[in-house]
Order: sequence, then C-alpha cells, then structure tokens
Amino acid sequence: MISVQHLVKRYGSKVAVDDLSFEVDKGEVVGFLGPNGAGKSTTLRVIAGFLGLTSGTVKVAGHDITKESLEARQKLGYMPEAVPLYPEMRVVEYLTFRAELKRVARAERKRAVWDAMGKANVRDVANVVIGHLSKGYRQRVGLADALVSNPPLLVLDEPTAGLDPNQIREVREVIRELGKEHTVLLSTHILSEVEASCSRVVVIAGGKLVASGTMDEIAKKRRSAGLFVMVRGDVDSALAALRGVEGIGKVTPAVRSEEGIHAVRCSWQKKLDETQVARATEQAVAALVGAGLSVREVSPVKSTLEELFGELTGARAESDTDGSGDEAAA
Amino acid sequence: MRSFWPIYKRELFAFFVTPLAWVLITVFLLVQGMHFFLLVDHFASAGQQISDQTPLQAFFGNTVLLYLVLFLLVPPMTMRLFAEERRSGTIESLMTAPVSSVGVVLAKYAAVVTTYVAMWAPTVLYLVILRQTGEIDWNVAASAFLGVLLVGGGYLALGMLMSAITKSQFLALVLTAMVILALFILGVGEFVTREGTLMHDVCSHVSVWAHMNDFASGVVDSRRLVFYGSLIVLPLFVTVRAVDAWRWG
Repeated sequence: MISVQHLVKRYGSKVAVDDLSFEVDKGEVVGFLGPNGAGKSTTLRVIAGFLGLTSGTVKVAGHDITKESLEARQKLGYMPEAVPLYPEMRVVEYLTFRAELKRVARAERKRAVWDAMGKANVRDVANVVIGHLSKGYRQRVGLADALVSNPPLLVLDEPTAGLDPNQIREVREVIRELGKEHTVLLSTHILSEVEASCSRVVVIAGGKLVASGTMDEIAKKRRSAGLFVMVRGDVDSALAALRGVEGIGKVTPAVRSEEGIHAVRCSWQKKLDETQVARATEQAVAALVGAGLSVREVSPVKSTLEELFGELTGARAESDTDGSGDEAAA
Repeated sequence: MRSFWPIYKRELFAFFVTPLAWVLITVFLLVQGMHFFLLVDHFASAGQQISDQTPLQAFFGNTVLLYLVLFLLVPPMTMRLFAEERRSGTIESLMTAPVSSVGVVLAKYAAVVTTYVAMWAPTVLYLVILRQTGEIDWNVAASAFLGVLLVGGGYLALGMLMSAITKSQFLALVLTAMVILALFILGVGEFVTREGTLMHDVCSHVSVWAHMNDFASGVVDSRRLVFYGSLIVLPLFVTVRAVDAWRWG
C-alpha cells in the first residue's frame, strides 16, 4: 500500500529524512517508531502529500505521490500530529465538510459520517462545537475525519499523544478494530504502543532506518544483559565466585526462595558479543561448581525492549552531529 | 475543482459565525448610511445650484469615504483566509484532502467576494429611496456598482495574497492595509506629477480615485477593466504559487 524508496527530505541545509526506504503491505498495522525529532512526522507528511520530497519516490496504493497526487490522497486518510480541526464547527458539520471535500458522493455522505463517528466513538458529541471538546474527543474526531471517506490506507501521526491512560486505551482499541479493515501506518515514540497495536515495526532515528520487522524479529535483537543463577549453598562464596569471572560486572543477590537456595543476578561489565557471552557463562558455572556450590538454574537475562530501543536509536544519535536523538531513552 | 463548493461554503460559514463579520457589516452600513444621509441632506438644501453632479455620482465618486471604508473593511476580511489555517495547522488537513491549490484559492476568494457583495447589497436600497424623489440613470448606477466590485475585488485579491505569505493574521492585516494605502497614494500622484511624464502616466493608470470617478459617472473604460482584471488575477496567481511553495518549506 505504501512504498517509500530512498526518500530524502531536506529543510534548507538540514536533512530531516535521509535515504529512507520501507514498505507497508495491504492489511498490515505498522508502527513507525523513533525518538522525537527522528523525522517521523516529516516522513508521514510526505506520504500524506502535504510536504514535497527532495528526492526518492513515494507511492501510495500504486500512485506516485508527486505525479498522481490527487489519486494518492484519495486513497489515504491522514491524521496530523496536532489534530488540527476548525474550532467553530460542530463535529457533524465538520465531518460532513470533510466527507464532501474527500469526494464522498452526496447520497452516501450522511451514512459515511455516521459510520465514521461510530467507528471513532464520537457519536455522543455529534452536535458539540469542536472548540468545546476535550483532547481525547478531539483526537477521536481527527480519527473520524481520517476514516470518513473509508480509505484503504490510514496514516496516523502519534494518535495517542497527550492523552490520559484511559483515553490511550480507548484510542488503541479503535485502532485495533480499524486494523481489521484498513492498512494502518501509525507513528509513535512509545514502544508499548507498538506492542499493543502493531503487527510490524519500522524504527528510524536521525532520519535513517535503523530496524524493521515484526515485534518478535526486533525482540531477537535484544542483547544478553547478564545471567540469572540459582544455587544451593553459601551465598557469600557464590557472590565471590561470580565476581571473579571475567566479563561479569555487577552481582546482586536476589530474593531467597527457601532456606539454603539463593538467586543471584549478574550483569555484564560491558556489551559482549555472543561468543564472549557463551564463554563467560561457562566460566561462571565452572566457578560456582569449583566453589562447592550446587547450581540449580542458569538463565540468560535479556535487555528490555526499551533498552533495545534506546540502543538502536541512541547509537545513531551518537554518530549524529545535530543530536536529534536526545530523547531516545524516553 | 470539485473541492470548490465545500471550501466555499465553509469559508462563508466561518466568516459569518464570528462576531467580527457582524461588527464589520454593522460599521460598514452605519458609515455608508451616514454618508448617504449627509449627501441627500446636502442636495436637498442646495437645491438646483449643483446640477452638474447627481447624488449617485457624489456617493461613489469624488469622495474619500469610499476608500476609507474599503481600507478599514478589506484587511480584516482577508487576514484570516490562509494565515489562520497555517497558524492553527488546519491547512495540513485541508491540503492532504484530494484538493487542488487552484481550487482552494479560488474557493476562498469567491467566498470573500461573496461576503463583500453581500455587504454592499443593502446600499441598493439607497437607489430605491432616491427614486422616490427623482430620476435615476440605471446605467450609471450599474457602472458605479461595477466599479465598487472591481476595486473591492482587486483589494480582496491583494489581501488574500498577504494572508497567504504570512502565518500571522495581524501581519496580514497590516500588510494589506499598507498595500491598499500605497496603491491609493500612488494613484493620487496623478494630481501632483506634471502631465506628460512617465510618472504621471503610471500614476493615472493606477489611480483608484480617478477610476471610481469615471465609474460613478457611468464611464466604463476598457483600460480600467484590464487594470482591475490584472489586479485580481495576478495576486490570485501568486497566491496559488505561494500555497504550492509551502510544501517545500
């Protein structure tokens, strides 16, 4: 549905998006993930036809966004980040206006507006002036706007930004429902959002692609962060034995489950590659056995997805001069 | 161009839903009503002594009041057209709908011209009133209203362009007022430059004052039509280019 090839977008001398390529297939719900200032909004604006691109090609439903702009825009429902709405209009008036603008036939307009209000869950405020709506409702009116012409493709820029937890849950439910009928590309800088609603994720930082794939594929990229061991015997000698192993940095005793059984968490001193991790694990077990302890369990501890996200986007930000990845860990 | 109607309707709605619209219309009709009253009063007391001019000519021509109201009226009418949409970000939803820049610009312009015409419409009543006491040359009346439409249309097009080149409504207001004033002053130059010089020719060509006097006395000069035609088309064209240009900002 969306094909982005070698997209470059410059604002003057500043490069916002740098040679970005990715695809979104029909029926997918794709999360577009990246820290603030990574170029997410810029990319989505280019896809939605609001911004012109510097070079590269963007196709929406087979239509080139620069050559067949009107056709491409007709296939796409876009919700901008700030959800700009006309404050002086009533919800139903606004959506009717938008439906007409998006060329919904006159006979179907009323039904299209009613359906969109139903999907976005705003029927109860149909006759309220938009300026009087709360943030959560405005967000959903924006969603209804994107939906009103029933486009095959939805592009949502941070659909849950600035909402309270209940509203976030509501909007996520709506998006999950929409994912059944529409292809969705949504941007966010919150990782749990992607886990909650997306089948695939595209991660960018500093305007460049840093990872893409299903959540499971991304999760595989998590590094080994340390070891979790359960031993029977004296805890102090276990700690001492583990501290002696090359590669192990911090060693902390975890909760003791029963008398004489100790759980210990160790973390690696620095980032180790796979062979180093394997060797350090072997050495740790040998050291524990050598110290006269009975090893009951050894399991790898993986870094969290948040840490992985920070690593993916932070590494890129470090090599950037403009420091646009500062909030990577947020 | 299918986007023309919905945007046209929304623009009219957006204008008339604000108190600004009604304040402007009230002030406009108040000023015009007083103007008309003073004229009629003057003609009634002066009797036959000033027969070279009809009240109609005096109402539309040879008076600074017409430009004063346009000067006060046009900038607040056009300031929000694009500046507000850009400031609030609604331009993003507008331009990502399947609409063409030309359609958007024409719809907004048509809406503001419609508003302008609606403001002037009640002044037709003055003609009806004048008719109670004397003859009215309807051709002169038509040419006078044509003049009002053309001058206003030109000013509104300029105002819309100013609104398209800034995000600030206030700046758009100030710029529009300055351009209108500059155009008027350049026209007045007709009376201070020597005849035969290039400056004089230029000034008299753009002299809104002189044009309105012609229109008010029933003279429809094709040069005037060309001038106002370009005064409308040129800003509209540049506005379309400006709207397209944002995409590269």
